[in-house]
Amino acid sequence: MMLSRRMSWTIGLLAILAIAGIVHILVILSIPKNVTHSAYATTAKFGPDFQFNILETIRPGEEALPALDPAMTHAACRFQLDQGPVLFTASLPTSFWSIGLFDESGQIIYSLNNRTAGSASLSLLLLSAEQLSILRENPPENLEDLIVIETDRTAGFALLRAYVPNETLAPETAAALLSADCEPLV
Amino acid sequence: MNRQWQPVGEENLFRSDLPAILQVRRPAPLRSTLAVMMVMILGALLGIVSAYVVIERDRPLLPVAIGPWEAYPQAGTRDSDPYSIAIYTRGALVPLASGEGLMLTAYSDSNGRRLDPTCTYTISGQTPTARFWTLTATTASGRLQETYAGRTYVTSDQLLRREDGSFEITAAVRPEPGNWLPLPRYARPRDGLVLTVRLYDAPVTTGGALDGVSMPSITRGLCQ
Repeated sequence: MMLSRRMSWTIGLLAILAIAGIVHILVILSIPKNVTHSAYATTAKFGPDFQFNILETIRPGEEALPALDPAMTHAACRFQLDQGPVLFTASLPTSFWSIGLFDESGQIIYSLNNRTAGSASLSLLLLSAEQLSILRENPPENLEDLIVIETDRTAGFALLRAYVPNETLAPETAAALLSADCEPLV
Repeated sequence: MNRQWQPVGEENLFRSDLPAILQVRRPAPLRSTLAVMMVMILGALLGIVSAYVVIERDRPLLPVAIGPWEAYPQAGTRDSDPYSIAIYTRGALVPLASGEGLMLTAYSDSNGRRLDPTCTYTISGQTPTARFWTLTATTASGRLQETYAGRTYVTSDQLLRREDGSFEITAAVRPEPGNWLPLPRYARPRDGLVLTVRLYDAPVTTGGALDGVSMPSITRGLCQ
């Protein structure tokens, strides 16, 4: 059977579109797994893991991470859950602070601010399902004061944002951010 | 034996006086291989280019629009679409989580014209309820730039307001009376301008709650 010239061009074009569609979908879906400069990778540059590292004051052209609010002071902590549950504690004197927990691909695990935290200080425990069952058998004494979050992710980072209304409060906020903790619970 | 039913040779197979539907094309292996390869290459190229164009936008595909302001409450959650996930991961963007606040961005003014950093804009009206909010001016690619004031933002707690709680902010390169949002000092129109409002501890962090809330209007003034 011989196809007419127009028919073969149409089939060729349809084939191109079908292949383009498949490639397009594959590229979009594979990006999150193949990104080398993710936020999780960038946070490693600020300092050691399991410690809140203060991000440089956001100045034009020197943003530590893209799209952060220049009115806020940020501190980031990278963590892995394979060494045990991670305990986040902070006590910030500012009128507003919030914490967001993100996984390796930058997806939100959990977030809260100082009003939803219910108390002036933060104490949050992040653990895996397995670690939660161990914790249930042997609960720590201060369990009532803890916010316990269960996750299926194994690593990620926490970003603490504190609002500094004016420059005079900046050193105080920085000191409070430095004393914030993010450590594996042993 | 009838001469018509004799087995046909190759010369009869490619006879051109047959109707088109019965004709057999001469095999052309090189040409067909080339055609198939062309189709594959063009398809792959088109797929990669279209994916790049969508991802390069640096802004989610399906925002919730309130006037010129766009919000994306699903940013960074598992409910967001694959495009937004790819955009956020590739740009290493850390979204504002729902427990923290809501980010709204404007790429154009209330008349739909693209924002230009060399122009003066008046941002007036009211924002949805929030504990406090900040308004930041960046380039189209989300970068901060040097301004005459040194700061690149205004915050709601340092704002002059009218009696009814509404406000008027002037975004301009040079200082302005009242509430001044400094725009980039060495602004070039091609850098573009993006205004970002971040509402902290706002009840409107879910898409449904965004219906019917009011956001300030952006009016274009004089341009340099």
